[in-house]
Formats: sequence, C-alpha cells, structure tokens
Amino acid sequence: MSHQRIIIDTDPGVDDAAAILLALASPELEVLGISVVGGNVPLEATVANACKIMALSNRADVPIYAGAPGPLIREQVYGKYAHIGAFSDQLVPATDIKPEAEHAVSFLIRTTRNAAEVGDPITICAIGPLTNIALALVQHPDVARGIKQIVSMGGAFTALGHRTPWAEFNIYADPHAAEIVYGSGVPLVIMPLDTTFQALLTRQHIEGIQAAAGAPGRALANLLLAFDRSDIGRFGRPGGPIHDATTIAWLLKPELFQGRKAAIGVQVTGRTAGYTYADYYGKTDRPPTSTIMHSVDEQGFIDLLFERLNVYSRSNDDLRALGG
Amino acid sequence: MTALPIIIDCDPGIDDTIALLVAFVSPEFNVLGITPVCGNQPLERTMRNTLQICELGGRSDVPVYAGCFRPLLRDPIHGQFHGKTGLGNTVLPDPVKMAEEKSAVDFMIESFEAAAVNGQRITVCCLGPLTNIAVALRMKPTIAHGIERVVMMGGAYREPGNRTMTSEFNVLADPHAAHIVFSSGIPIVALALDATHQVILTPSHVTRFAAVSGRISKPLSELMAFWDRNDVRRYGSRGGPLHDPLVIAYLLAPQLFEAQKARVFVEHESELCMGQTIADWYGKSGLEPNADIIVKVNADGVIDLFLDRLSRYAQEHVQ
Repeated sequence: MSHQRIIIDTDPGVDDAAAILLALASPELEVLGISVVGGNVPLEATVANACKIMALSNRADVPIYAGAPGPLIREQVYGKYAHIGAFSDQLVPATDIKPEAEHAVSFLIRTTRNAAEVGDPITICAIGPLTNIALALVQHPDVARGIKQIVSMGGAFTALGHRTPWAEFNIYADPHAAEIVYGSGVPLVIMPLDTTFQALLTRQHIEGIQAAAGAPGRALANLLLAFDRSDIGRFGRPGGPIHDATTIAWLLKPELFQGRKAAIGVQVTGRTAGYTYADYYGKTDRPPTSTIMHSVDEQGFIDLLFERLNVYSRSNDDLRALGG
Repeated sequence: MTALPIIIDCDPGIDDTIALLVAFVSPEFNVLGITPVCGNQPLERTMRNTLQICELGGRSDVPVYAGCFRPLLRDPIHGQFHGKTGLGNTVLPDPVKMAEEKSAVDFMIESFEAAAVNGQRITVCCLGPLTNIAVALRMKPTIAHGIERVVMMGGAYREPGNRTMTSEFNVLADPHAAHIVFSSGIPIVALALDATHQVILTPSHVTRFAAVSGRISKPLSELMAFWDRNDVRRYGSRGGPLHDPLVIAYLLAPQLFEAQKARVFVEHESELCMGQTIADWYGKSGLEPNADIIVKVNADGVIDLFLDRLSRYAQEHVQ
C-alpha cells in the first residue's frame, strides 16, 4: 500500500474527531498538519477541539494551525450541534497542546508550493467549510499544482441536504469558498451526504469503540453518545452517520466506495445558495475532474474503522511509533 | 513631521505608475511596501512593472511583495488602456531588483498586526482590485485594528461605469473582494470615477510634465501620451482621467477634495450589474456610512501638486 502525505482541513466537530483519529491510526498516511477553520463551532473552539483530539492520540508531533474564522461572503452559520462549543473536559480530557503561530492558510500555501516544487503533490482531506483552501488557492498558482487531490466531505446530490433542503452544511457555511475550490481544476473526490448517509454507527458500534480503542475510543464514544446523530425518520433504521471519517476511509480503502466522474459546481447566490450540482454529461465548460461517490460498503467501512481505532488500545510507546 | 506609514496595493498600469512615482518623492510617506495584484495585467506583469518602476523612481529600497494571482471568484479581467505590457509602449530596463520571498497577504497581516500593537496604524492605498486586502481580512479579521484607513481608487456612484454600463474596472475585477472591504468596518475614502473624471490629463499637461520631470521625463511623457483616450464625447477634452494618482494626491493635499459620507454596497450577485457600487446617500438602508466618497476635486490644484512633485526628479539629490 502506498504512503500518502495528507493535510486534514477541519472544523472539529464530532465526526471530524473520528476522521482525525482514524487518520492518525493509519500508517499509510503521513499527516503533515491539521489546518483548522471555523465551522461546526467558532474557530476558537474548533482549534481547542483539534488540540484535544491530537492529545488523545498521543501525536504531539503533528502540528495544528488556526485558520480563517468565518466564511468569505455569507454571514456565519454554525453546525447543527453548535451548542457543543469546545469539547468539555468531562467528554474529552484537557490538554496543553497549542496551535502553531503560523496561519493555516500560510501553512497550506507553504506546503503545497513546496510539494509542487519537488513534484510530489499532497492530498488534502477537507472536512469543514472550504474557506482555508479557497484563500490559499487564490494566492499562488503553485498551490493547485501542489495538490494531488482534495477529498472533500461536502454536498448532496440525490440525498437532500441536512442543513437546508438544498444544501449540505460544509457547502452552505461558505458556498463561495466551495465554488472556488470545486472550480479550481484540482482533482476532487467528493463524499456527499448521498454516501455518508449509508454508513451508520449504531449504539452497539459506539459501545464497541468505547471498549476497544483506549482513551481515544472512550472520548469519541462520549462525543458520539452526547451528540446523537441517529434519525430514524430519515434513515429508516437505527444509527447515525460519521460523515467526515469517510474521506479518510477512502484514502485507506478506495474499493469500499463507488462513484462516478463529473464536474461539480456550487450555487453561490439566491435562495438556493449552497446547492451543489453535478455535471455528468459535459453540459458545462468545466472539465470532469471530480469523482462523486454514490455508495459505500457500510460493513467494510465499519470494519475498517474498528480495525484502525483498535490501535489505540495499545501502549503510548506503540502509538508514538506510528508517527515514525 | 512623522511620515505617514502606507502600503501601496496596486496593479501597474500606467496610472498606477504615475501614482507610485509621485509617492516615491513625497517625504510625507513612509512606504512600507508595495503589493502588486492581478488587475490591469496578470500578476507576473504587474510584478515586473512594479519592480521596474521602483528602479525608475530610484526607490529600490522599497520592498515589493507578490499578491494574489487571481480574483476570488470571477475569472480575471485586465485593463484595456495600458497597452500589451501595462506600460503602454514604454520600454524600461529589465529589473535587477527582486520581489521579497514573503507573500503580499502575509506581509499585510504581519504589518497590520504589528501596527495594532504599536499604535502606528497603517494607511492602505488601494489602486487595483481589492483581492489582497480582502484575503488578508478573511484570514485574520482582527488586522482591521492595525489599519488607519483604506484610500481606494474604485467604484462609480453618480457616474456610470467604465468597464461595463454600471461598473468601474477595479471593483468589477473582484466584486467579492470589494464587498469584503466595504463590510469590514475599516474607514474608507473612495476615489471613484465621480472624482477621477474631474481630473483629465490633457496633451498640454503632458507637455508641462515632460518639461519639469528631469531624468524620468522621457518615460513619463511617453506613458502620459499613451494614456490619451482621445474621447472628447466622454471626457470633454482630449486626454485621460488620472484615476490612481488621486489616491496619493488626496493623502498629500486633502484640502483639494470634497467628500460626502455614504453607506456603500457592492453588487456581487447580478450578472447585469456585477461590480456596481451603490451609495446610500440619504440613509435608506438604516446603516451607518462606511465611506467618504469624493464628490468634488480641485483639478488645477491636483495638476499643480503633481507638477511640483514630479519636478523633484530634476533635482540632483533625487537618485
């Protein structure tokens, strides 16, 4: 399996925590840094949460960078679980890990330009509003050249939005940034609600994580239980999605997902701002550089999640060794 | 007298060139840096032009930082009256001076943060599309505390547009960036087409500038001659409007300008009116004014000011 260098651009967030913990437990992925954006909760809280997640995984070697606090043009909206704010110490233990002084956007630019120069582009897992990445892309053409692909949790095509009937939260929160990123020509792998709604964690799964994944598992289970995502009316069965973790799962096991090539764009104006459209048939002048996922092997995804998170039941020395 | 700390954000451009050359010989300013952006020409060209202009003006000491290479959302548009290179037919020597490593946006953020701490707030002279400062503000909104004010060339209020029916070039080129700046709460002085169309650089002015400007006389008069729109129906005479230099003139001699306060809105949704700047002169929006819009300019006074400044290039102590 090939070694991949990634940056996780994130707004933690409960499912962001699952994604980050999954990535850090996976030796195939070298996490160059975590760039944090305002989104699910205000930036101050997303940064604090990112630091707590990093502490849980015992990987203080991965730097955290604070990014843009709010969207480009629209007024700020927070996630459905905005009341989470910063994770309480009861749910996730306190830490003294702090973010770096460098801005997340400057870090993204520096890292991607360097990747372009050495001819080894990196992957970005974008699991929050796309503000940081948009602000990096407009500053230098080598930013796009230094990105191999962006695996983006965002959008909704056949599954209707959860934030509004037409929009998924990450896009709705900054539609202009999403349009900059989705229109940039950078190859995209899109994990829309259509796919993430197919992989549900039940209470039994969460209890399994709680029992078998050390301190990170206990904290993640605390979060998943405190902020229950199950919605039997929508899903027709028990369990709740953990959207963001699908991006990391795709990097680890792309065969779990099925998708289709398309171009993608975002409606930035009017009542339906945040609507994502897929162009499967070349009706726009945008090249079909995206793969929009439409299905996931749910059991395979959950097995992968358990297999990896189980690493955290090992000793701290073993975990540090994962950092290479 | 303490020199006013300024950053010149620009996209040279012929009128930008004149603005820079005036600023370079004005001891009232401490030019902290120049931040070229994609605008009248692509970034590569506005950077090269800026470096050449620094050398022409004998100000290689002023650091130049590369700005954003594209607008936030719209496809780039470029100026129509600046010739193929952005400097008309004028050929300047290849620059020896190099751009700084740091990006324009990082330079702005660091400068404004330092200014907020030491209390020496910075005036930003915006002569091009507002992408750089908008990106900086979205990365770190608190930098607004380090900005004294933005003095910008851009927009068209009672005057129609110059690039489209409704819109002036700098705002049309990045209307989203303009919206961000006008929504920032930073004090803004707007030199829009309403002001700049009052100051036409005529052929007889060009002759006078050529006569006084010493060692830069040849390139300066070439640039100025190229600027002649030869559109009497529109401008009332031969010549071209001195858009960008008015920002510098305003800072040197505000008594030559008359302003009216208004709340400004930037249209960034309508294709028909994209980039239009709309002034709420009479409090219809219920929002406080966010800009001083220049409505009247003493054109003769401005020309005399520029003649005085550019004649300094004939003095020996200017490099």
